[in-house]
Amino acid sequence: MQLDRVEYLSPEAWSQWHTELLQSTLNRAYNRVPFYRKRMEETGISPDDITSVEDIIKLPFTTMKDISDNYPYGLFSVPLRDIVRIHTLRSGQPNPIALGYTRQDLKRRTELTGRSFSSAGVSQEDIVQICLDPGMSLHGQDLKEGAEFVGALVIPPDPVSILSRIRVMVDFKTTVLVTTPSYGLYMLETYRERNMPLAALNLKLMILLGETLTKDVRDVFESELDVETRAAYGIFEACGPTMAYECKEKKGLHLALDHVIPEVIDPETLEALEPGQEGELVITTVTARANPLLRFRTGDITRLHIGTCGCGRTTWRMSPVSGRCDGLAVVRGVKISPEHVKNLISQATGGRQLSFLIVLGRSKHLTQVDIPVAVDESFFTGSLPQLHNWIRTTEDLFLESLGIRCRIRPVEYRSIASFWESGELIVSKARFLAEG
Amino acid sequence: MLHIKNLNASYGPIQVLKNCSLHVDEGEIVSIIGANGAGKTTLLLSISGLISSISGEMKFLDHTLRGLSPDRIVGLGIAHCPEGRQLFSPLSVYENLMLGAYARKDSDDKVIQDEMERIFELFPRLKERLNQTAGTLSGGEQQMLAIGRALMAKPRLLLLDEPSLGLAPRLVNTIIETIVDLNAKGMTILLVEQNARKALEISHRAYILETGRIILQGRAADLAEDSEIKRAYLGKDYKDLSER
Repeated sequence: MQLDRVEYLSPEAWSQWHTELLQSTLNRAYNRVPFYRKRMEETGISPDDITSVEDIIKLPFTTMKDISDNYPYGLFSVPLRDIVRIHTLRSGQPNPIALGYTRQDLKRRTELTGRSFSSAGVSQEDIVQICLDPGMSLHGQDLKEGAEFVGALVIPPDPVSILSRIRVMVDFKTTVLVTTPSYGLYMLETYRERNMPLAALNLKLMILLGETLTKDVRDVFESELDVETRAAYGIFEACGPTMAYECKEKKGLHLALDHVIPEVIDPETLEALEPGQEGELVITTVTARANPLLRFRTGDITRLHIGTCGCGRTTWRMSPVSGRCDGLAVVRGVKISPEHVKNLISQATGGRQLSFLIVLGRSKHLTQVDIPVAVDESFFTGSLPQLHNWIRTTEDLFLESLGIRCRIRPVEYRSIASFWESGELIVSKARFLAEG
Repeated sequence: MLHIKNLNASYGPIQVLKNCSLHVDEGEIVSIIGANGAGKTTLLLSISGLISSISGEMKFLDHTLRGLSPDRIVGLGIAHCPEGRQLFSPLSVYENLMLGAYARKDSDDKVIQDEMERIFELFPRLKERLNQTAGTLSGGEQQMLAIGRALMAKPRLLLLDEPSLGLAPRLVNTIIETIVDLNAKGMTILLVEQNARKALEISHRAYILETGRIILQGRAADLAEDSEIKRAYLGKDYKDLSER
């Protein structure tokens, strides 16, 4: 196995390698993680029933709820002393989710992120600036380490204003900008508004992640900034921000098949779908030591493409994510679930269950999250300053918990009733205006 | 080069290997690491055709190995250097080497002699003791002879079972250097070695075998740094440190 040529293996070699990795992952998970053992026993299978990578469909799924239910240590497959880092993430579930990493896990993650940078042509000659919201801080950290791994000079996502970020971009002659498509547009628009000359920029490449990069947005960056663009896709739970990344062909995102076995399933029937069919992306990690994930449901809707790419890589590709199948809103890479919002509102109102909507609108290319909360007269007993104070505290609570600023708006029940009754909690601005 | 899928092997009612899948590519040194009784030797014996109660797929180049007799397997290019050397003690060094070429049907004496000369380049000591009986050699020399005998079959894949077992530390290093040297000359090697530290040092990749199942695999350099592997297989010192 030529590990430096790992993305170019033959289909037979992938089959052999995936079978080996899946079997050893199962042997570890079954013996060391009581949750997986119980799940497999309930399903009536044992690691011995998995004789090829195709048998993966016999395994039970793992969901975000499972990870949360097993908080804090339930899914660890190594002793705590082997774990050198733990990240805890908000999950929308009662418990946060905790992910552990051994030293090897971190090394692999950094190498993979570094590989995605290298494949985009980033080298030690580059100055890489990362601009992400606090809600994406874990990805930001992985990206920083990956860029350092290839020897680039890195400007990590510091919590400064957009103008400071633009100034740094100009003053330090940033060559590679890593951000979300919408934040990239926001930066471009802000730059234009200030009448700053585009010629002052040294950008040659933008790596865009956290949201789907549409053709229109890509065209804007490529034509106006004259840069190369590459999309990347990752989830916090496995492999970091670049579990899949584009090559120069830009015909889908190459999945890191040496670390994960991807599948696409029908989110309703849970049946495996054929390559090319659209469905939910399911990931099994096969190199994770601390936190192996078996058939983890990502909630992201995509298609898989199997076959050799024009760039020569044989790693399977995924289409850009076209949506979510679990009702989560994704704003600049931050996932917001109605359940999570419900809990936060309950927290802010001393345990009251109030109706609400999550309204996504656009302002200056940046998605804004508006949360109208249905309140009744009893809510207005206090003074107006008290109400403002409640709004401010609640917005702070949302920022702290979600890592993204939301606008909280107390409204009458009537104004959101039709959406509430239809069960549609997340609405886009246009739809809201049209029907409201 | 060698592809194994779902290998199961048993001695009577006792199943020793359970669903083992592994592969060795041309030019690699691949190690099998595991505790005593994990099934390492059984794995090599299964590949060589010396255990019959096995199931699963084993392919060497384009040939299916399962069901072939050991001599056919040697003929395909797999030579097995067994644990404990298994030399013919009363026979001379020369005779032991000649036995290694027994399965070669296509070679005349000249070719065999050339082969032997190449082995003497690798192990000059064997040439010095050509007519001595194998039983009178030192442990290190016996190991050299065992490897030399396996090489006489002119294999493409060499299976080495515990080549450093029972040798003085200095000789262990000599044997290890020989393995690296052989690999540098193009020999593909599947190595079972109780000295996990040394094995991981010289291997490209390794598999960790635990009670008959493969529980981990990867680049040898990565495994050598893995805390769990260090504790379990790389000696006591680290364990003392980590569990203090």
